Amino acid sequence: MDMRIYLPRFSAIVLAGASLLAVTAAQAKEITVWCWDPNFNVAIMKEAGARYTKTHPDVTFNIVDFAKADVEQKLQTGLSSGTADALPDIVLIEDYGAQKYLQSFPGAFAPLSGTVDYSGFAPYKVELMTLDGQVYGMPFDSGVTGMYYRKDYLEAAGFKPEDMQGITWDRFIEIGQQVEAKTGKKMMGLDPTDAGLVRIIMQSAGQWYFDKEGKANITGNAALKGALETVGKIMSSNIYKPAAGWADWVGTFTSGDVATVITGVWITGTVKAQPDQSGKWGVAPIPALSIDGATHASNLGGSSWYVLESSAEKAEAIDFLNAVYAKDVDFYQTILQDRGAVGSLLAARGGAAYGEADAFFGGEKVWQNFSDWLAKVPSVNYGVFTNEADTAVTAQLPALQQGTPVDDVLKAIDAEVSAQVQ
Amino acid sequence: MALARRGGIGRYYNVNGWLFVAPALGLIALFMIYPIVWSLWMSFQSGRGMMLKFAGFANIVRLWNDPVFIKALTNTLTYFVVQVPIMILLALILASLLNNPRLVGRGFFRTAIFLPCVTSLVAYSVLFKGMFALDGIVNSTLEAIGIIASPIPWLTHPFWAKVLVIIAITWRWTGYNMIFYLAAMQNIDKSIYEVARIDGVPAWARFTHITIPLLKPVILFTTIISTIGTIQLFDEVYNLTEGKGGPSNATLTLSLYIYNLTFRFMPNFGYAATVSYVIVVLVALLACLQFFAARERDR
Repeated sequence: MDMRIYLPRFSAIVLAGASLLAVTAAQAKEITVWCWDPNFNVAIMKEAGARYTKTHPDVTFNIVDFAKADVEQKLQTGLSSGTADALPDIVLIEDYGAQKYLQSFPGAFAPLSGTVDYSGFAPYKVELMTLDGQVYGMPFDSGVTGMYYRKDYLEAAGFKPEDMQGITWDRFIEIGQQVEAKTGKKMMGLDPTDAGLVRIIMQSAGQWYFDKEGKANITGNAALKGALETVGKIMSSNIYKPAAGWADWVGTFTSGDVATVITGVWITGTVKAQPDQSGKWGVAPIPALSIDGATHASNLGGSSWYVLESSAEKAEAIDFLNAVYAKDVDFYQTILQDRGAVGSLLAARGGAAYGEADAFFGGEKVWQNFSDWLAKVPSVNYGVFTNEADTAVTAQLPALQQGTPVDDVLKAIDAEVSAQVQ
Repeated sequence: MALARRGGIGRYYNVNGWLFVAPALGLIALFMIYPIVWSLWMSFQSGRGMMLKFAGFANIVRLWNDPVFIKALTNTLTYFVVQVPIMILLALILASLLNNPRLVGRGFFRTAIFLPCVTSLVAYSVLFKGMFALDGIVNSTLEAIGIIASPIPWLTHPFWAKVLVIIAITWRWTGYNMIFYLAAMQNIDKSIYEVARIDGVPAWARFTHITIPLLKPVILFTTIISTIGTIQLFDEVYNLTEGKGGPSNATLTLSLYIYNLTFRFMPNFGYAATVSYVIVVLVALLACLQFFAARERDR
């Protein structure tokens, strides 16, 4: 009896609900994004999404947080299986791997050349996402490098901040020896299974494992030779603290055991995570090699956003990236202050946050410095086999440590790279 | 008439029989046979990602000239030659000790030795990585009891890294093999041992002349299973070396190399398929060899 009364009302609610759902389903667009660092690019993408949703309430974001290796593996599997259902609309790709994906999976990524004004970005970022005259990604963070140093340790060894500016690697090693003699601290942490330092030094002199045509460039590569010699000297002069793996390496400077850290700007957040070390750190440009074309600017890591061609929300995804990452200067100030992200949009350098002094670094204008160095990073061709070459270099680092002549090490690397590159 | 009827029933049963197994056969064909045939076809192609082209025997030629492949193959065979005999012997000894009915706490020891096998591969690899770190519990224990003077670089030295992988897989799989031997030993007629004891055969001779010959089929089985497992080794090395097979490729295995070729390096599915067929050939050859070594000889 009661049923008769309730049933019509109930079905009316169901009907209303269903039609409501249908309406929202027709209008709402959800953009799925894959990226990997919850404190960095995931958080930044959430901020970017929130900004876009304010002006486009019909677009929502589903930002999925994986480990970086998992993002790469899922992307590679999805692209090679040929079914796009499991793929996101936007994916973050590390710059070293960009050309690999663009060349192995033609047509998988949407070209953005017509939409985005690339003249506003750091040229090296644009170049690494260009294939056959088309530009495919939205440049994101830069891995512009710097030398973070402990002012207190260096002062105890008799060095002023001016002494750290514009030095060579040989001078760096001399300073390291004196720092150890006076303070007992090592100059830097070094993971012998990570070729990051070799890449930093090599790119600072304008070369890479591959030449502009993508051919292996190992035995005749003066910058790579200089980088290996430098790493060999650092090892033989024993001014480093060995680290096993990433976490261990981070521990070398958060624990205060080493006097310098030479890496990408994205480490700033980790350095600043030790409030008791506030005021003790300074930032200088990285040391340079003593060869032709050597500079004090380089890059380590860094990544960019790519839109999948098969995405159902392709147009919205491109519009979103263009609106926030290519135009919103204020957005770059926020992510710089909140996350320590130095974007590659050159116009962002004029923003207020870049000119601010940082008390943690004793009132230095570190961000302004980093963005000045960013404009000087030599542009190189990362090619498509950087992972392979890097593995070959890593495999030879123990030989270098044991004092094998650099030319022999180069030959061994060349043999392994030549076998891999085909 | 009768013949025709029988033929009819025969056909009826045949058709029904095939209908019953058809779904299973279809699934096997789709998910087992098709991928195997396709991977064989793929091993004759080469290229970057989806840009595969027919390459004939180019991948096989590439194997010969690829120092990383040679390194991975050597490492894999080293693991196999060193680790499988150690593990099989250890499992046999443990099984015969734990088969002794007079041993106190038999159940406890059996469980304790079998337990590693039910732990997650990833979990124990991560745990081993911590235990064998430069300042980990293993080094500090060895130093405390005075066996070593300075810590062993388990994870960063090419030789010790291999030793660590061998220790890890031995710890994980010895109990598994031991269970097979225990079960088989309990099937050996006790009267055989009784006769031997009455005849004054010493314990060691009873083990080598009664237990081992009677366990031969099981030993063959576990050897083949262990061979396959070792040749396909992946998880431990992946987790212990952060997926790199380092230091200096010293722990790289064939399976890890296949993974790198497919997911970490420029994806070359053709070449990766060729390397995976190397594993197939290796396992088949080794299994044949083991069957041959364990064949029944006429006395």
